[in-house]
Amino acid sequence: MDPEQLDEFVMGYLKKKGFNGAAKQLQDALHHNNNNNNGTGSSSSFNSTDYHNDPELTKLIRSFSQSENDPTRYRNGYSNLRSWAYNSLDLYKHELLRVMYPVFIHCYMDLVGKGHTQEARAFFNSFRKDHEMIHLRDLQKLEGVLVPSHLEEMEFARSLRQSKVNIKICQYSYDLLLQYLHRTESTLMLGIINEHINFQVYSGQPNSSSDDIDAVTIVGSFQETADHVNQKEIQWGLLEDSLEDRLEKTGSLLTDSEKGQGESKDGDVDDSNKKRSTEIGKQGSSLKKLKKDKAGNATAKVARQETSTVSPAPRVKSELALPVMSTDVEESILEDLRNRVQLSSVAMPSVSFYTFVNTHNGLNCASISHDGSLVAGGFSDSSIKVWDMAKIGQAGSGALQGESDTNDQVAGPNSRRNYTLLLGHSGPVYSATFSPPGDFVLSSSADTTIRLWSTQLNANLVCYKGHNYPVWDVQFSPFGHYFASCSHDRTARIWSMDRVQPLRIMAGHLSDVDCVQWHPNCNYIATGSSDKTVRLWDVQTGECVRIFIGHRSMVLSLAMSPDGRYMASGDEDGTIMMWDLSTARCITPLMGHNSCVWSLSYSGEGSLLASGSADCTVKLWDVTSSTKLTKAEEKNGNSNRLRSLRTFPTKSTPVHALRFSRRNLLFAAGAISKPTS
Amino acid sequence: MSIVPKETIEVTAQSIGITNLSPEAALMLAPDVEYRVREIMQEAIKSMRHSKRTTLTASDVDGALNLRSLEPTYGFASGGPFRFRKAVGHQDLFYTDDREVDFKDVIGAPLPKAPLDTELVCHWLAIEGVQPAIPENAPLEVIRAPADNKIYEQKDGPLIDVRPPVKHVLSRELQLYFQKIAEITMSKSSPALFKEALVSLASDSGLHPLVPYFTNFIADEVSRGLNDFQILFNLMHVVRSLLQNPHIHIEPYLHQLMPSVVTCLVSRKLGNRFADNHWELRDFTAKLVSLICKRFGNTYHTLQSRLSKTLGNALLDPKKALTQHYGAIQGLTALGHNVVRLLILSNLEPYLSLLEPELDCEKQKNQMKSYEAWRVYGALLRAAGLCIHDRLKVFPNLPSPSPSLLHKGKGKIISAETRKRKLSADSSQNQLPHKRLMTTTDGLRPQDHTGPAPMHVDKPMGKKGNESESRHQNEKERGKGRVITMKAILGQIWKDDLDSGRLLVKLHQLYDDRILPFIPSTEMSVFL
Repeated sequence: MDPEQLDEFVMGYLKKKGFNGAAKQLQDALHHNNNNNNGTGSSSSFNSTDYHNDPELTKLIRSFSQSENDPTRYRNGYSNLRSWAYNSLDLYKHELLRVMYPVFIHCYMDLVGKGHTQEARAFFNSFRKDHEMIHLRDLQKLEGVLVPSHLEEMEFARSLRQSKVNIKICQYSYDLLLQYLHRTESTLMLGIINEHINFQVYSGQPNSSSDDIDAVTIVGSFQETADHVNQKEIQWGLLEDSLEDRLEKTGSLLTDSEKGQGESKDGDVDDSNKKRSTEIGKQGSSLKKLKKDKAGNATAKVARQETSTVSPAPRVKSELALPVMSTDVEESILEDLRNRVQLSSVAMPSVSFYTFVNTHNGLNCASISHDGSLVAGGFSDSSIKVWDMAKIGQAGSGALQGESDTNDQVAGPNSRRNYTLLLGHSGPVYSATFSPPGDFVLSSSADTTIRLWSTQLNANLVCYKGHNYPVWDVQFSPFGHYFASCSHDRTARIWSMDRVQPLRIMAGHLSDVDCVQWHPNCNYIATGSSDKTVRLWDVQTGECVRIFIGHRSMVLSLAMSPDGRYMASGDEDGTIMMWDLSTARCITPLMGHNSCVWSLSYSGEGSLLASGSADCTVKLWDVTSSTKLTKAEEKNGNSNRLRSLRTFPTKSTPVHALRFSRRNLLFAAGAISKPTS
Repeated sequence: MSIVPKETIEVTAQSIGITNLSPEAALMLAPDVEYRVREIMQEAIKSMRHSKRTTLTASDVDGALNLRSLEPTYGFASGGPFRFRKAVGHQDLFYTDDREVDFKDVIGAPLPKAPLDTELVCHWLAIEGVQPAIPENAPLEVIRAPADNKIYEQKDGPLIDVRPPVKHVLSRELQLYFQKIAEITMSKSSPALFKEALVSLASDSGLHPLVPYFTNFIADEVSRGLNDFQILFNLMHVVRSLLQNPHIHIEPYLHQLMPSVVTCLVSRKLGNRFADNHWELRDFTAKLVSLICKRFGNTYHTLQSRLSKTLGNALLDPKKALTQHYGAIQGLTALGHNVVRLLILSNLEPYLSLLEPELDCEKQKNQMKSYEAWRVYGALLRAAGLCIHDRLKVFPNLPSPSPSLLHKGKGKIISAETRKRKLSADSSQNQLPHKRLMTTTDGLRPQDHTGPAPMHVDKPMGKKGNESESRHQNEKERGKGRVITMKAILGQIWKDDLDSGRLLVKLHQLYDDRILPFIPSTEMSVFL
């Protein structure tokens, strides 16, 4: 490039960028220069054109001029960076490779943004393999973006463009990267990296790749808010004066005092425990004092919990006005709890499986009551069918019962069906849930409503309208009366049975809220979303108190451990994650299923987790080993995996619902799918 | 560029009446169309997930369109798979293949059956962590080899507490069951209990995991308990019960089971006491063999040939004891008349000539030996008789013979039968059978049955005789009213199947009249 061309380019560049003044000056200078050169030949004092003599600068300008609009620049730059990263030292490789994904998607979006649709597609296709393993879902989303306007329209792309990605990287890797970028003068890559990546450089050796979960979800500044949110304090303990509590007090003096001894190291906290164990006799008078004690200690316990995981769950107060349970219901629950089978990794539960036959592919959801006697199915033809297994068990009485049940259904003259048909929705029913005593059923549907049904009257009682889009899931609270729902409209809502308007609206998810679950103490709900996060919300304030990041695809099922300390979530890919609620960290991912995990359930004492999946299996996981071992794991850096204890394959029946009864019998339900051919 | 080719856009535009769409516009539209389609599909997949399905349906897409307040697609709800056709002249252009349906056909077709109503069935997926082998559950995997288990556990290191692998596989209940059954089988005290155990073995559905243990147990005990007749008999009963159980898949273990069974059939000595009726055990085992062959002959092609080879070898080896020969003959008889014809009848003459000296009590002083010889003789007779009986049965339409003939025939049958029964009974008393025969030929004498028979040894044979007798009667009734001349039939027999005629003659030569009871009365009348 001869000097004239260079000048011209610099000129054009300045003009294009709107530096009109500078351009004019330059023009003048050039003019002047030329005159000087041509005329007097005297050297000018004006040194604006010394870039002609500076080879570095010339090169830089040349690269600019070549490729201001050249789409192949991205491809070349990226592929160079990629091959450099892949050939780098093993120790630092994974950190450097982590940088590749943000660079990749931003290169792609830059290309799209500049209108090089074809090149963008080619670029995308040639490198997508690198990232498919971890980021498949994101890539699928981005793949469709082909026109600049899509970038504006699509929320995901917009948030990517606007925010920076945090990447933890060790000092040496960082230096290596910068060195490379400067040496090769790949200004384009440098620009992208500067613009979209926020390096958190730390000194010392690079991390082992164990914490790559953090790097999985690129939500930009979202991560910071998540970190911020997760600082909030939550009280995950069980409700004080719960039935379990009472049973413990009346039932087992021994274990209680043992616990008291176990905790004797912790100062004032175990005072209350000791008090409790000593004052069992005169419960009545001391109870009030005890409560006060505990309320004060609750926060201390949260902190303490991290040091000793074997201690019992702390007690917290309910922030909701809970419904009063009738004494006979209470009695039956207490009876069940007394008769509970103790499960562990060596004492497996029995599994009773309810198979729906002749569903014609129409079963959308199934639900099992707490005692397993009632089973509800929600169908795509808007109907809900409720079976009373206790009645079906009595052979021969089917005819009689069929007649007595038909008070509100239009039964054909010769049809003697053994279920109750509930009609009312006007769209596919996506979820159904039983109230704890089994006297009510709630259902949610694509018609945006939630309906309350009575299993005694077999009739619709209330229709709750509030959501604007299909309601994906609805769940009764552990004590009934309140329920939570979640919807395609990206909100979760809290309702009570006696109001047709929602009491709280939880907004914050970036995509559909797909599932919802109550915390055992009723003060929190957890929601799983298509934005691949799980959030925990305070029911009283409606605030988000935890964000759990780590899933790689949409979250389909949630379960809370009975002690309220852990949560399990299952996703579309078959991964189950165990979370510690207080730290918002994933204890360990449970790999094993190879298709959607539709349902999760903890056993009564929380030692086993059951998962039901579309791959036609029920799996049992030993949860105690993992939670106990977290401490050891932290110490010796040994990443343990939760044990998969058993796999029960069904006969080509995807498992839609699971529930441990109070006596620890596991119920499962699913519709048999005949091989289609 | 976009995966939607611009031709698609053009075709779609034409289909909705836009004819003047410029190629540039189509090109511009294509990426947007792709984006919108992806958007819709994303929503449709959500709808699919919430319907707990893993296949996308047209209704899911409709649901997604509905969410966007768009009109749903019509005409795709039937659920049948769509057939896409390639448009002629375009490379990547497809359209759905709509069949033309004639109204007449639709109206004329019979109404489809009403779909079955949804039902809920309940079963145990697992009982205390073990999956019962019931039809509702997925078929159990073959029990894992212990070696695999060990490797797996070692890999996981100290985290996993190592337990003996067998106990993982068998539930406590099954172990107890096995122990109990084994105990009952080995004890001789309570036949009633044993009978119950057999019924349980033959009918319980969850026993499959125990099958390898049972086969092992049987093999061990048979090899150890050859001297204990009762135990052998019990074990064979267990085998039979296992074979009868419809829920057990015993085939893979058959090769382990067969040696024990064959041992009980052709072993030189079964039981050590004189009183042990090993003949009965051999007869029972022979029936077992035929049961096995009938059930697994189809799937195990080599089973029958191998069995008959083993038994044939045992029979034709003159060094083997007569008891072994007896077992072999019974076993071969159980395998069917073809086998008998091939292996026994072809060797009958030389064998009988060998047997002759043993039969003669003058030459053979050992009473026991002589008795055994007579048993073998009886078994051979039975085998030959059954064979000829089956062969003659092949001729379907035989005329009813004249009453007098029939009567005569019947008389003969009965007398011959008593004779046969006497044959064995008498031989035990070491009398010359021919003398007896002379005394009994003149007719039926009831006291003959009860009189000189101190040992009721020949039960199965007697039964067989009764059966054949009743069969004769049926035949007689059926044959009534048929009017085909005797001559024709005779001609047919000699013409169609020369073999059976000759066989009969040959057997008659060898056995004299003793073969006659096995010949169906009508056929007999023909020959007589």
